[in-house]
Amino acid sequence: MILFALWRRKLRSAKNSLLRASFAQKIRRAAFALLGLSLIAGLYLGFARFLGFLQKAPLIGPLIVWKLTAMAFLAAFLMVIISSLLTSLGTLYYSSDLTFLFHSPVDFRAIFIDKCLEVLLFSSWMLALALAPYALAMAVVDHFGAGFLFAFATLLPPFLWLAAMWGALATLLLLYFFPSSKTRDMVWILSSLSLTLVYALVRWAQPEKLVRPDALHVISAYLEYLQAPTAPYLPSWWLTKALWDWTAGRLGGFAAWAVLLWLCAIASFAGLVALAGRFYLRAYTGAQESPRANRTTAVTPMASRGWGLLPSGAVLAALFWKDRRIFLRDVRNWSQLLLIAGLVFVYLFSIDKLPLDNADLKSLVSFLNIGAAGFVLSSLSLRFTFPAISLESRQWWVLKSAPLSVSSIMWEKFIFSALPMTALAFTLGAAANRLLHADAFSSQLSLASLLVLALVLSAMGVGFGALFPKFDAESVHQIESSLGGFVYMTCSFFFIGATVAVLAWPMRMHFMGLFGRLHAWNWIQALWCGGAWILLNLLAALVPWSLGRAHLEAFEP
Amino acid sequence: MIEISGLTKTFGSITAVDDLNLTVAPGEIFGFLGPNGAGKTTTVKIMTGLLRPTRGRVTICGHDVEKEPLAAKRAAALVPDEPYVYPKLTGVEYLRFVAEIHGLRLEEQRRRIPELLEMFELSPRSGELCESYSHGMRQKLVLAGAILRNPRVLVLDEPLVGLDPKSARLVKEIFVSMAGRGTAIFLCTHVLEIAEKLCHRLGIMIEGRLTALGSLADLKNKARSPQSGLEDVFLSLTGGSEYASLLRHL
Repeated sequence: MILFALWRRKLRSAKNSLLRASFAQKIRRAAFALLGLSLIAGLYLGFARFLGFLQKAPLIGPLIVWKLTAMAFLAAFLMVIISSLLTSLGTLYYSSDLTFLFHSPVDFRAIFIDKCLEVLLFSSWMLALALAPYALAMAVVDHFGAGFLFAFATLLPPFLWLAAMWGALATLLLLYFFPSSKTRDMVWILSSLSLTLVYALVRWAQPEKLVRPDALHVISAYLEYLQAPTAPYLPSWWLTKALWDWTAGRLGGFAAWAVLLWLCAIASFAGLVALAGRFYLRAYTGAQESPRANRTTAVTPMASRGWGLLPSGAVLAALFWKDRRIFLRDVRNWSQLLLIAGLVFVYLFSIDKLPLDNADLKSLVSFLNIGAAGFVLSSLSLRFTFPAISLESRQWWVLKSAPLSVSSIMWEKFIFSALPMTALAFTLGAAANRLLHADAFSSQLSLASLLVLALVLSAMGVGFGALFPKFDAESVHQIESSLGGFVYMTCSFFFIGATVAVLAWPMRMHFMGLFGRLHAWNWIQALWCGGAWILLNLLAALVPWSLGRAHLEAFEP
Repeated sequence: MIEISGLTKTFGSITAVDDLNLTVAPGEIFGFLGPNGAGKTTTVKIMTGLLRPTRGRVTICGHDVEKEPLAAKRAAALVPDEPYVYPKLTGVEYLRFVAEIHGLRLEEQRRRIPELLEMFELSPRSGELCESYSHGMRQKLVLAGAILRNPRVLVLDEPLVGLDPKSARLVKEIFVSMAGRGTAIFLCTHVLEIAEKLCHRLGIMIEGRLTALGSLADLKNKARSPQSGLEDVFLSLTGGSEYASLLRHL
């Protein structure tokens, strides 16, 4: 009964949130829903094309498809495990409603079950949404019919639970035996590291080789490997076998694997709840303990003399000193930095492995890298720059009641963001150009525009952050996914697209010169293009900045 | 030192502060009282530049808070009703940061910060992150941050909430001492005993309007109960005595 009461409160909250949304919220949700549906449709089309291609491989086509399916399920299983580790920490031990629930006369096993279902939902919904178009593509390409989709839908919940339960179990045991918030920090870092490694390893395996016809004969030599099970003791293989048996008409085999999946899921759930009866309370209370590490209390100068060269240098130095300390002490930022390192590695690895055997094509990719690296930079800016003002949070009064101008605060946030952003832009631009061996003009153009792009995206991020402050947000994710985040992301995408479009002009003249056309360079056009580029950057930086400053000056928290 | 004239603040159709006129002289401790939702915190926020007035103006040491915000903020220090401090800074780091953004010289910081930490008994834990501090410790830290730079105007919104009796006593003595040195203190509080003992003048606000202003003796006369304490005067002026009949049913 109590569980139903707990679930009812969630349903009621969801209903209220849907029905009482403002017009802006409804628009944003509709836009997100449309974006999500487009993404799912795109995934379906991609999977269908890919599976159709593999299916056509003589003799071994179906084997490759099932091998790939087993690998995809294994990857999904591992991703859900890692995701559940991170989700379990937040949901089972640090949810804002836990204090209320633990004070209420509710059996803490009921609280645990309630929160476990949240863990299952939050850690697996994205992969479930990604697997659904894959299953649909299999059903359509191989003509498996609606029954296949029904079988898939029946077996997906226990499969996802068997992955998600590991996060709940691991955090329960860890916090029971090591009851400290330090354990939370360790789990954060280790999970992010694992995610980065899985991501990098998947890319390292170069799965794109499977779709290249010249690689298929190599795969045929590994027929035995294809027929062998993939991690047979894991539920990912049980799911693969169940679906395989279903499509082959072996209903007995299907039933056996399905029963195994469901029985294991039910048994693990019961075992986990029994364990929670003994461990959860101590683990929860342990997680609330704060570390008492003593840091230095010496009063030493805050910054080098270089800050003195800037107007309001002392104030900027103090704000920078504060932000640097807070950033580095938040272990969640470390985990994000690990993920970024993985992302940069995968990005550069992908560029290195592009099948380009033409010098002009390489120069063209170097130019297009402005757009691709620009999107990476804008995503990072959404995570780190845009929320910077809002992350002042309830401490905003400290700055607002101090003799500081809003401009100073925004400038400091800009400097704090622009330094790593330009460093990253330089890494992505220079390393990509080097890997591609692009010609001098393309390399210089892409590198220079990426550096400017990083600066402008930082200014835009701070400007939009000031225009849409959210000092009451409980997490960075709430800030990122707010209306302001959506507007910033949309504007930054337009800005990157416009940059590529404007710079395509000189690039075209450059290629015309390379292809031997006389008087390829029209200098008046080139000047116009340069002017348009400067104007575009100035507008992209100054408009949100000015609007944001005016809004933040008048803002009443 | 503090001059409030014709101050009005509206939030949509709600008038939080309605035509407030008030002055607080140097060395004066002014008690600002009123029931919940009377507009006290809104007034404090306008005085320290956190909110903008709809009409009217506030000057701190002659500087208009809206027109010369930086000069006004240099002269005033705020202790808000909730002591929100940066959880990932240590106590000593918070004070360093506050000192730095208010332009306190390094030598001054080296002298004043350990002194204040010692005074508020925060020294043993000053190297720990503020996230591990109790509410009372954070309140003391915010008070230390406000006092650190010897402000000419001190604006306090419920400064004694969460403090242990020893610390509350210390803080009261600090206020008296600062007022003695010429600091104007604007004190919002619900603790009538403190207002009665500390404040030179009192103002009572109800539904955004200042309904009573003067010394304790003036207010007693206004309430027509010269022998009563501030609590009775407050209840008489704010209509609190009507709860007596309700309480009988509980």
